[in-house]
Order: sequence, then C-alpha cells, then structure tokens
Amino acid sequence: MHMANELLSVPVATGTLAIAAAGLGFICRKARSIITSDKLALMGVLGAFVFAAQMVNFQLPAMPGTSGHMVGAVLLAIILGPHAGAIVISSVVIIQCLIFQDGGLLALGCNLINMAIVPSYLGYFLYKTATAGTSGSLRAYIGAMLACVVAVEAGAFLVPVQAALSGILVVPFSTFLITMLGVHFLVGLVEGLITVAVLGYLQQVRPDIVLDSVPGKVRLSRNALLITLVVFTVIIGAGLSLFASGLPDGLEWSYAERPDQPDFEPCVSSEDSTIAAVDDFQSKYSLLPDYSIRTSELGKAEQQAETAAGWTSFAAVVGSVLTMAFVWLTARVLRKKQSPKA
Amino acid sequence: MHHAHIDKFAYQDSLIHRLDSRIKFIVLLAFTAVVISLPRTSPGILACYAVGPFTILVLGRIPLRFAFKHILLISPFVLVLALSCPLYDKTPVTVAFGPFVRQSSLGWMRCFVILAKFVVTMLALIALVSTTRFNDLLTGLRRLGVPKLLIIQLGFLYRYIFVLIDRAHHILRARAGRKLRNLGFKAELKVAAGMLGSLLVRSIENAEHITIAMQARGFDGNWRTISRLRIRRSDLLFAAVAACFLLALHFFVRPVLQ
Repeated sequence: MHMANELLSVPVATGTLAIAAAGLGFICRKARSIITSDKLALMGVLGAFVFAAQMVNFQLPAMPGTSGHMVGAVLLAIILGPHAGAIVISSVVIIQCLIFQDGGLLALGCNLINMAIVPSYLGYFLYKTATAGTSGSLRAYIGAMLACVVAVEAGAFLVPVQAALSGILVVPFSTFLITMLGVHFLVGLVEGLITVAVLGYLQQVRPDIVLDSVPGKVRLSRNALLITLVVFTVIIGAGLSLFASGLPDGLEWSYAERPDQPDFEPCVSSEDSTIAAVDDFQSKYSLLPDYSIRTSELGKAEQQAETAAGWTSFAAVVGSVLTMAFVWLTARVLRKKQSPKA
Repeated sequence: MHHAHIDKFAYQDSLIHRLDSRIKFIVLLAFTAVVISLPRTSPGILACYAVGPFTILVLGRIPLRFAFKHILLISPFVLVLALSCPLYDKTPVTVAFGPFVRQSSLGWMRCFVILAKFVVTMLALIALVSTTRFNDLLTGLRRLGVPKLLIIQLGFLYRYIFVLIDRAHHILRARAGRKLRNLGFKAELKVAAGMLGSLLVRSIENAEHITIAMQARGFDGNWRTISRLRIRRSDLLFAAVAACFLLALHFFVRPVLQ
C-alpha cells in the first residue's frame, strides 16, 4: 500500500510531509528521554528484522499462487512500545523509499503516516486496552488480532483519502476506498494471524520478550496517549466527513466538468458551502490547472492550434531523446578514451 | 551475501559521486516537486525533464539497464492505479503528436502522464541513491535537521539489513529443503511463525551482543563520523546548473508547449 508520488498533488504531499516530520520530531524528542544508548542497536536490528520477516512468505488458503507475509508494525509496537516501534517502522519506510525506491520521495510523508505512525500507536493502544496487561492468554491474542486488523485498515483508509484530496486519480473515491479496505482487511487478517502465531512462539521460547520486563519496553504516558487520541479523532473525523460529503458524488471534481454529458448536473456547485470551499481551495492552491479538453467540437482554428501544439510536443520529445543520445554517446566516447590510460 | 546490492553503484567514483549529499538531496526534492506539479495537458514536456536525471545517471556511470529494470520492479501498484484511469474517464480527446493524430480518451492520457511522471521521478531518485553512499546521505540529512535518534536508527538498520536478509534466505532454503508439498494453511502458518519467531529471538540476542561490543568500545549514543561534507565549488556549480535547468524549462519551454 505504498503511496506513489504521482497520485498526490504538491500541496497534499508537502502537507503530509510536514505532518509526518513534525510527528516524527515529536516522537523522537519524546523518546530521547526513554531510549537509552543500549537500546539503539536493538531498535536497528529489529528494523532489519522487519525487512527479513517480509521475505518469509507462506501459502494462503483458497488463493493458490498468492502468499502472505508479515509487516510487523503491531508486533514491534508490542515488543518495543509505541514510540520506539514507530521510530523503527518509520526508519523501515524511509529505507524502503531511499534504497528500494518503494514509494516516492514526496509520498514519503503519506507513507510514514499510513504505515508507521498510525499503525504503531493505534495497534499498541488497541492491544493494551484489549489485553489489560496479560500476555499469553486468549484475550491477548484476540487483542493482537484486533490491533493488526484495525491498524492495517486505518492505514489503508488514509490512502484513498489522500489520493482524493489530491484529485489526480479519476477512480471514484468510494470504489477506491472499498477496494482498499477490502483488500487490506484480508491483509490485516493474515497479519493478525501471523502476529498471534509469533507471539505464541515467543511465549513458549522467550516469554520475557513479550512481558513488561523486556529490553526496550516503553511505557505510554497519559499525556502521549491523550495527544495520540486527539490526533486520531481529528484524522478520522476529517476523513469521515470527507467520506460523507463524498457520497453524493461530491469528491470527484472531474465529474463536475463532464462535457460528454451536457445534461449532467454538477452537484458539486455552490449548493454545499463546505464543498464549494474545498473546491475553491483545491483550484486555488493546486498547482495543477484543469485540462484543456480537446474535443472534436472545437472550432477549426482551435483544432489547427491543437495540431500545432502536437508538433511542438513532438519536437520536444524528439529533441530530448536526441539530447539524451548525445549525452550517452559523448560519455561513452570519453570513457573509451579514458580506459586505456587507466 | 549472494543477493544483488541495490546501492552497489554508490561506491563507485565519479563527478556526481563526489558531490555533497545535501545539495543532491535538495536538488532531487525540488526536481520531484516540479515534475509532480506539471500540468497534465502536455506529456511531451516530461521528456525534457527526463534529460536531467538521465544525464546524471550517465555521468555517474550507472548502467541504464539497471535503472530501468529497477523501475519495472517497483511499478505494480502505480501500474494498477494508472490503468484503472481509462475505465473511469472516457472523455474523448484528440491526441496530436507530430505526424500522428489519433482519437483517445482522457483516461488514457491521465494513465500515460501518471506513468511518465513515475518513470521520471524514479529515475531521479535512483540517480541520487546510486551515486551517494548511504552514510554520506545520513550525515547530510543530519546536517539538514533530521533528528539524531532517527539517523542512528537508519544507520543501524542499513548496517544489519543485508545480514538479516541473508539469514532469512538460509531459513527459507532450509524450509524449502524439508517441506516438499503444501501442508495446509494451519501448518504453513505455524511453520512461518516458528521461522519468524526464531529469527526474532536471534535478532534480539544479536542486538544484545552488538550493544555489549559497542559499549566496550565506548559507544555512548553519539554517532561520530569523520565528516567529509563540505560545500565546494563543484557543488555550487552543480546546484547552479540544476537550478538553470529547472528555471529554463519552466520559463522557456513550458510556455511554448502549452
């Protein structure tokens, strides 16, 4: 569920980047007093463990050919506590972006929020409230399961919201949302099962890891809990209100400008003041102006202008390709000249 | 280690490799933002922007086949979403491209632009990562204000990622050697959980040993590097060239193409 650069508009990307940066800065400051230098190596190695764990796949039932693997946000939050867990998973997401190019640089903010910060805190909170301090019991396993499903779903829920805010995709918001939630319900279920199974294994082999006396355990202070809850309420509230106003086809801005259906009534127009405001905001601050739609109904002169524009873009592409070829050839020739000397 | 290092070209030496990591990072950020904010009307201009990362890749002696193969590897999610565009937006448009004029739909245009932007920005990202050592990048990011804790975490993670991936490979090979058929979901899950659990326990024990070893050598939570980060004249030149490239495209090429 890595968000990609191309599905975001610049305001949304920078906004989420700013939120993620502020959040991470806050968490790091918060955690600095709790995480001592002897836990740094543990956190780093556990981050690497997440990568390795993603390679361990297993066959899913009823779906031959597909295999599931663990993501591990909730497991790490249970083992390390939410602050350290969020930092570890954030570092995993950053490495995925920088080294493996999974998700773009501008989408990093979205990915950090969706996959690291929200699942870690939400998962930890749910696990803690469900288990009430007992590990190894049925209750703890149900709590872990619940935490995994909800944490994954929360992240999956944010992806269509961010995409819809950007307005780049034309896929209707509700369709995208339902697909994402459906697919990630299964993902969360598998994640929950494997997390529970690993917790069960740890309970047998090294119960001290899951208990409170673990290296790297961080207690959640009441203040932090409160702030997280507030942030969640705001995020989910904002998302839900968007969804609500999105149901009467309000979110698809592209639908409001349908030239192929003249009788199509653009229900986005000023009837609802919030939608109008959002729409206004979008058109004002989005760096992407609307399409100039080249329908065949355009006048002859305009069509000629269009064809001329086609020629300039053709020239641009050809020129660029020629430039690239020139650069490549020059570098090659220069390198050949260099290599005998070396 | 028998897996291909993703950043194996970062340890080469070239004009681009020697540049300051901060400058490269900022240029990449600006470039990505500019490309993403390009209007969707004329995809032709993306080819002009592609010249930038392409030149850096060539100057940095990164094999182009490596870059494109890697882009292909990471494309599925974007590909699915981009290909769903034509299903939802069927506004007919006439696409004129030089001698070729054909009817198409707006959805296809969107799909094409999304994919083209994906390729261009990913080329730029690969150009940064494969010409910068990760440690230099981390030092640069630290100077740019990223929290110390996160930098140390990233450094440790990078150091052990390939070690643990290797170990996971060993475990996977052992399972493949013993398990000759599909055991059914419950058994499969149990096996996978055992693998993950033992991997986790070994990782935690390793981390304990690493901590002891590092403390014996005087690690106190600070990451000390012989910092070679210095903004030199070549860095300024690179920044100036990049800025000129972006500004020239913005002010001279974009008005012509739109």
